[in-house]
Amino acid sequence: MKLEHTYTFDIPRDVVWKLIQNEEVLKKSIPGCKSFAQMDDGIYQAEMGVSVGPVKGVFTGQVQQVDQKEPSSYRLLVRGKGLPGEIDAVADMRLDEVGQGTQLTCSTEVQVTGVLASVGQRVMGGVAKMVLGQFFKSVDKEMKQLATHSE
Amino acid sequence: MAKLIGTPQKRKEDPKLITGNGNFTDDIKLPGMLHGAFVRSPHAHAKIIRIDVSKALALPGVVAVYTGNDLVGKVKSVPTMWLLPGADLKPKDRSALAQGKTRYAGECVALVVAENRYIARDALDLVEVDYEDLPAVVHQEAALLDGAPLVHDDVAANLALLWKAGEVPEEEFQNAEVVVKQRLYNQRVIPNPIETRGAVAQYNPGSGELTIWCTSQNPHIHRMVYAGVLDIPESRLQIVAPDVGGGFGSKIATYNEEAVIGHAARDLKRPVKWIEDRKEHFMATTHARDEVIEVELAGKRDGTFTAIRVKNTANLGAYLSTFGAGCPTIDFGLMVTGAYTIPKASVVTYGVYTNTTPTDAYRGAGKPEAAFQIERIVDLFAQEIGMDPVEIRQKNLIPAEAFPYGTAMGVSYDSGNYHYTLDRALDIADYASLRAEQKRLREQGKLLGIGVSTYVELCGFGPSKVAGAIGFQGGVWENSTVRVHPTGKVAVFTGTSPHGQGTATTFAQVVAEKLGIPIDDIELISGDTRSVSMGWGTYGSRNTAVGGAAVAIATDRVIEKAKTIAAHELEVSVEDLEFSNGIFSVKGVPTQSRSFQEIAKSANFAWNLPDGVEPSLEGQSFFDPPNFVYPFGAHICVVEVNVQTGEVELKRYIAVDDVGRVINPLLAEGQVHGGVAQGIGQALWEGAVYSDNGQLLSGTFMDYTMPKARFFPTIESHFTETPSPVNPLGAKGVGETGTTGAPPAVVNAVMDALRPFGIKDLDMPLTPEKVWRAMQTRGENA
Repeated sequence: MKLEHTYTFDIPRDVVWKLIQNEEVLKKSIPGCKSFAQMDDGIYQAEMGVSVGPVKGVFTGQVQQVDQKEPSSYRLLVRGKGLPGEIDAVADMRLDEVGQGTQLTCSTEVQVTGVLASVGQRVMGGVAKMVLGQFFKSVDKEMKQLATHSE
Repeated sequence: MAKLIGTPQKRKEDPKLITGNGNFTDDIKLPGMLHGAFVRSPHAHAKIIRIDVSKALALPGVVAVYTGNDLVGKVKSVPTMWLLPGADLKPKDRSALAQGKTRYAGECVALVVAENRYIARDALDLVEVDYEDLPAVVHQEAALLDGAPLVHDDVAANLALLWKAGEVPEEEFQNAEVVVKQRLYNQRVIPNPIETRGAVAQYNPGSGELTIWCTSQNPHIHRMVYAGVLDIPESRLQIVAPDVGGGFGSKIATYNEEAVIGHAARDLKRPVKWIEDRKEHFMATTHARDEVIEVELAGKRDGTFTAIRVKNTANLGAYLSTFGAGCPTIDFGLMVTGAYTIPKASVVTYGVYTNTTPTDAYRGAGKPEAAFQIERIVDLFAQEIGMDPVEIRQKNLIPAEAFPYGTAMGVSYDSGNYHYTLDRALDIADYASLRAEQKRLREQGKLLGIGVSTYVELCGFGPSKVAGAIGFQGGVWENSTVRVHPTGKVAVFTGTSPHGQGTATTFAQVVAEKLGIPIDDIELISGDTRSVSMGWGTYGSRNTAVGGAAVAIATDRVIEKAKTIAAHELEVSVEDLEFSNGIFSVKGVPTQSRSFQEIAKSANFAWNLPDGVEPSLEGQSFFDPPNFVYPFGAHICVVEVNVQTGEVELKRYIAVDDVGRVINPLLAEGQVHGGVAQGIGQALWEGAVYSDNGQLLSGTFMDYTMPKARFFPTIESHFTETPSPVNPLGAKGVGETGTTGAPPAVVNAVMDALRPFGIKDLDMPLTPEKVWRAMQTRGENA
């Protein structure tokens, strides 16, 4: 399944680039995030509660950032596993300057298995959109706080 | 006693069931009973790298966790039971729990056993399984291509079987005046009885006896198979099918879960229960159909058929299910010529492994696919030569005087009166008026469609000699004991295993009429391998035609013995006695008589029996029919397709079925209603959908349509009765007529409605979207 989501930050691109990969920002922003810790360079171990329509469960998995082209794009590899199934996602993140701010475009290709696929497939698009929306909103908030602190 | 055979009798079963006093597998609660839940593979094809059960075992209340490795040497794979000869069959059996690899989404990887169902389900979360995803193949045609992922490493091209039957010289097609070809996809469907599968197992460590209560259509087959799988003597394994809430073929198969639950009970020395939930059912219980059928029909311009050849590419799923090899080959192939005189025929079937749930029988098993392809191609042939679909049928239907009729596929249709049944349907439908109405509505831009199917099916399995010849691993005779208690009440034991058919009523009608006693004096006992010595179960419309025949013969044997006792008491010869309405009386002297109940007492007390007559009054029959039975019928469906939305409105459905002698018209009509609903379900709504990587997307009732009563018009069900000569009841079998006759009748009707658009064929299910798109893209051809 392909998903695309766009969010515009009222924050300069170099700041977004820096903060969107900040562990604390991510930890606080990922919806349902229970733990988030860096394992190796660029690889994070995460635990996250997910609810897709009638399908609920805790997913553990790894998030890896690759192909970083500062400050305009990077790629996220996500592999998660939980009782309702497994998630395998590749997300291309593109950062474009829009005036003083930054437009972030996230294009994702997601593969799911298990109940997540058999039951959740139909509502997945809507749920993913909502989750990503929540995520970027929280990131925005966290970034603004950090940006204010560092000023 | 009034005549009972052929009369509508209310189901004896119902008071128990509708007052909540049924006893289904999930109603069984035993002291100390544990609950099992299965960890299932989320991947369609993956290597199992590691399984860690330690966290699950640490959860309070968890008693045991089993993985594939734990069962080595204890629980064998569950074997297929149809070893089709001459087809280079490569059987791959379901393993008890996956070892090393999983081959379809939903395959069992581990079993958790806990103090209650909630803990067992929670513990599933804690079993850690690492998989290495492998490429999956879902569609059978893709699986045959070079370079396709292999489901089993040692099965080249995923080809499980290649079966050929019949021969047609190429010239028959080259020189034919007309040849019509069509590729038809008989989509994958998912049987959904109201009761899912389940098992309760109890082991006695002292005696070594194991009892498994489970949802089975054929407990003796389950006993035979599980005895081998669990390495336990059949004499110490009792299988009980208590009340079973429908099966539709999905409970014929023997599965791994039931055997593994049996092992857990043996291993833990405590009863263990497992009840499949609906989500599991969609993935874990057999699917059906999923056959790509390419058919060519040759004939003359005047509408006479001369030859047919058929290629079936069938999706068998990841393993060969119990009777999986038989459905797209024998069951399908022998019936491809349908109800017509087609002198030459050939069939080739490719049975293919894929990373999907195994397929097996589903109400009709092969015969609906056979009827679908012939009934569709007959309509296309009629269209090609500009003939009415009814006229072309009348021209080619096997005439009544030709029976028994040997077909080009080598089977002998027992009896039939096909033209009469079609005529009845045409009368009831008022076919000529319908065509006039269609013409009138077309002028107004409305799309009325009329579809006809004149099907015939192969039922009543069957002669055991034939079963042997086709590789069916069992007999298909049937057993009945009719036991008369001292009071004259009667227990009827049958080796069939009814699960919703109303057999306790129909068999009681047969026995009550023969013995001249009240129907309430008769109880049917079935489904328990300890009560019934042997039997082969309920499927393939064999319940009445074979099981009922055994009951009738056993009852006759009771009468025969009772007569000798009555003659002895009345001091006349047997020839001087007559038996009617439950009274044995001396011919011409009706006052000299004994009631059936009096003789029952005499026989059981044995105070004064004739020389050489043993005590007790019991008749037994092991009936092996000399041939299959061939029910047939004519179905007419009238639809209106909404030009704006593509929705198909069912306006009328006429089913004239000939199922031989009807025992209980009320129940027969009920069978027709249910079967037609399922058949229309396949034609219009149902269909399993897999993603390319083998995820079942139609895994709930949100995404898989279960037909509901409000979807249907009144089904106009009628019967003609052409008795079968192959059993003493003259019965043929009614359970599968609807799923066989309805899909082609409905699709023919919709295609008839869409003729102004030049649309010749669409794959089932004919959803509004599919019909609407077809009208949009092909509208210009109108």
